[in-house]
Parts: sequence; structure tokens; C-alpha cells
Amino acid sequence: MYRRLVGANMRGQMQYRVAFLLDLVGTGIGTAAAFGTLALILQRFENIAGWTLAEIALLYGLVETAFGLMDMIFSGFDPGTFGQQVRRGTFDQMLLRPLGLTLQVFGSDFALRRLARIFQGAAVLGYALIAAGIRWTLLKVLFIPVVLASLVCFFGALFIVGATITFWTVESIEVVNIFTYGGVEMMSYPMEVYHPWLRRFFTFIIPGIFVNYYPALYLLDRPDPLHMPAFAPLLAPVVGGGMLLAALAFWNFGIRYYQSTGT
Amino acid sequence: MNPLKYSANRLQNQDLKLFWHLIQLGFQQQFSYRAANLAGLMTNFFFGLLRASVMIALYAARTDVAGMSLQDAVTFTAFSQAIIAYLSLFNWWRVMLAVYSGEIASELLKPTNYFTFWLAQDIGRAIAHFLTRGLTIMAAYALFFKITVPQTVGQWLALAVTLVLSLLVSFGWRFLINLTAFWTPDARGIGRIAFGLSWFLSGFMMPLRFFPDWFVRLCHLTPFPAMVNTLLEVYLGLLEGRALLGALAQQVLWVIALFALCQLVMRAGVRKLVIQGG
Repeated sequence: MYRRLVGANMRGQMQYRVAFLLDLVGTGIGTAAAFGTLALILQRFENIAGWTLAEIALLYGLVETAFGLMDMIFSGFDPGTFGQQVRRGTFDQMLLRPLGLTLQVFGSDFALRRLARIFQGAAVLGYALIAAGIRWTLLKVLFIPVVLASLVCFFGALFIVGATITFWTVESIEVVNIFTYGGVEMMSYPMEVYHPWLRRFFTFIIPGIFVNYYPALYLLDRPDPLHMPAFAPLLAPVVGGGMLLAALAFWNFGIRYYQSTGT
Repeated sequence: MNPLKYSANRLQNQDLKLFWHLIQLGFQQQFSYRAANLAGLMTNFFFGLLRASVMIALYAARTDVAGMSLQDAVTFTAFSQAIIAYLSLFNWWRVMLAVYSGEIASELLKPTNYFTFWLAQDIGRAIAHFLTRGLTIMAAYALFFKITVPQTVGQWLALAVTLVLSLLVSFGWRFLINLTAFWTPDARGIGRIAFGLSWFLSGFMMPLRFFPDWFVRLCHLTPFPAMVNTLLEVYLGLLEGRALLGALAQQVLWVIALFALCQLVMRAGVRKLVIQGG
């Protein structure tokens, strides 16, 4: 059923080929601006907190690729557009259909234009995997898809929580952007550059540090300047999966208490 | 008094009055989006904190890079976050939306140039954003970091001039992008590319003087440095004497070029609209 909903959605998007292409190029330029700037700047500065361009590319590539994937799969939950659905009452239509609600929201949007972000992220990630001097082991090869999946779950959880909150606020709350887009920006750089308070927030409250930074330390065999227990990199799937489950529980709780706006 | 001259005067007065009313309108509109503005403010500030952290890590033990101290560089991140809303750097789709919804038909009937109609409203919007999203971010930053502030009267004057010019360049560019809506249903996609380019080439992400020379030369072929980089360098007091005058003159030229282009393209667009019957 999910495949049919998404299939219909994708066919719809492919009807606007020019729009699709322009979106690809536009997103591409945005991403290129961020990483291109970094690459050009590092010609002068050489490194950030001892991390070379290729090493930062690992952080950046992982988080960009995963966020792009998440944004495509979870775009039905995008707090901005989901808020509109609640306001306009299109969400109420879903309540009337004889089909699981979560499935319908998942199937309501599958943003193909995120492909640009995924390509761009994957290109940077590919560069990092080749140029960062990783000493490859079988375990590391297997670990990369696990990290990506954990990141997708992590950001997906944030989207779902953001969408659920709109049941109460009705207005789409843009503050969620601080954690999603802000999280992407923050996790693109090594954590030791940030003030301890910011770091603690992203360790204990929104534990993003475990899904990108620690896996990267492990892949690069870098010592941990923050002195976490040695098993910290292995927490990635636990944190990602755990957050997604918690978010879905919150979502179900939200649905039970949802009252329509009446529009 | 010559009656002809009298009526010309009166017309001018009325135009000015209308212009002033439109500025007020644009200003007031911003205060109906209080929640959105607050969220935007927090987001701008949070991203600013991240950017400042990266800047501090980049400098490491360096005391001076391309004439900028670490304090200047941190101030750069503050100031560039503070002008996002003022220059509407991330998006502005007002004219595009008016074209797509058909509202433009009634707006064109108004007894004022369509370009001026939006320019006035944008000035009002910018003043509101300058106060609510610009000054506040600078003040919030000052709580966390030591930031650079212009020292001399001359610097403040130059800043005032360049603030206005930057807004005009940015408006000309945004208006021009919106006009593509007359010809294509995909103006938003084109706009996204245009805005993306402007972050990259304007010196918004990093001061242009940090980049390699070939890249800076490339940027200066576009109007983008006249939107952001000049403004930042004037604020930080990095330009003096002839360099300062040259930068301001460049801004003036871009304003003239973009405004003229806007009028030309707008006329062509409106003609197309009229032929099609709206």
C-alpha cells in the first residue's frame, strides 16, 4: 500500500519535469555553496581544530546524505508542510480513510527533489572515504550503512516530534528548524569546536553527538578529546532507533488527543 | 503661479505621500507575523553561535587573517546573521505570488509605478526587520562575545549610506528574479538557484577576503558582493579613503543597472500579460 501511495506521488512530481530539474540544480547550488566555501577557505586555514578538509567531509557527507534521505522518506512529516495540512483540514480527510494513519502520512509526500541533496552528500562522502586516509576493516565497511540508517532515524524522529507538536499549536512551529537544520549544520563540524553547553545539549537532551561525531571518530581512528566511554561509537543505532520509537510513541499519543481545527 | 507647474508639484507631493504610506504599510505588516519573526530571530541567533564557534576554531592561534582580527571575524558572523532578514537574503516571493495569483492585475491599476510600489513596501519591511531582527541579534551577540563597533563618525556615516545601498541592490536583484514568473511557472525553482548563488558569491558565508584571489575576482563580476561583502567591510572599518569610495561607487552603479533592468523587464512582462488578457 505504501508503495502505491508513494508511486502515485512520484508520478505526480515527474509531470513537472522542468520544476524538478530546477529544484535539483537549486538544491545542488545551496549544498555546493556550503561545502565549496569550506574547501576554498581551508586553502588558507588548512584545518579546523586539527581536522583536515577530507575528515570534515566525512562528517558533512554522512549528515547531508542521511538528512537528504530522511527528508525524502519522512517529508510527509515535515513540520512546516504538516502544519499546513492540519490547518487546512486535509489531515482530517486522512482520519476518515480506512487505512493506517502513520502509513498515510508517510505516503502523503515523497520529495524526489531531495535527490539533489542526497547526490551532493554522497559525492562529498565518497570523497571523504577515499581521501581521509581511513584504515579499512570489514567492520568499518559494515558500520557505514548502520551510521547512515541511524542518522535517518534520528532526523526522522525530530520531524515526527515537530509534526506532532502542531496538533496542539496548529501553527507550524519554526523553532523545530533549530534542531533539524541547525542540527545538520552543527553536526557537519567536529564537536570540540563548540562551547561545552551546546555540546552537552546535543549529548544529553538531543543526543546527535552519538549518531555522527562518534562514528566518525571511530572510522578515522581519532582519539576522543571529550573522554566518553570507548563504546560511544556503538551507541549510534541505539540512539537512532530509540529516538524513532520514542517519537512514534509521542505521535500516537498526539493522534489520540487530536481535535480538528474545524476548518 | 503657473498652473502647470503647480499641478506638477502637487503630483510630486502626492507621489511622495503615497511612497511614504507604502513604507508604513510594509513596516506594519511585519508586526502581524510576531511568532514567525521570533522563531526566525532564534534560528538566526543559533546559527550565528555555530558560525562563531567554527570561526574561533579556524583562527586557532592566528591573530590576524587578511587584515581581520579574531574579534572582527566573530563580529562578521554576528553581523551577517543580523542582516539576513534586513536584506531578505533567503527568500522573497511577493511579486511572483502576485503574478501567479492574478492579484497583479488589480495592483497594476494603482496610480504608481509597480516597481516603486514594491520598493516602498520593501523599505518598510526592511526597517522593521532592521529593528526586530538586526539590532536584537547584535545585542544578543554582545552578551556572548566581544564584538567590533564602528569607532568614528565617518564610519557611522559610511555605514548608513552603504546600508541603504545594499538594500537597494538586494531589492533590485530580488525583484528581477521574481519577474521571471511572467514567463515561466517555475519562478520558484529559478529563485532558489538565484538565492543559492547569492549566499555563495556575496561574502555572506565567509568574508570574501578569506577566499583565493581568482574566486574574489569572479565574485566581483556579479552584483552579490555589493549586497553583503561591502556592507560587512564598511561595518568592520576595513575600507578607508579611496577603497571606501570605490566600493560605494560600485554599489551605486549596481543599483542603477539593476533598477533599469527591472523597469525594462517589467515592461516586457506586463506587455505579455496584457496581450494574453491577464
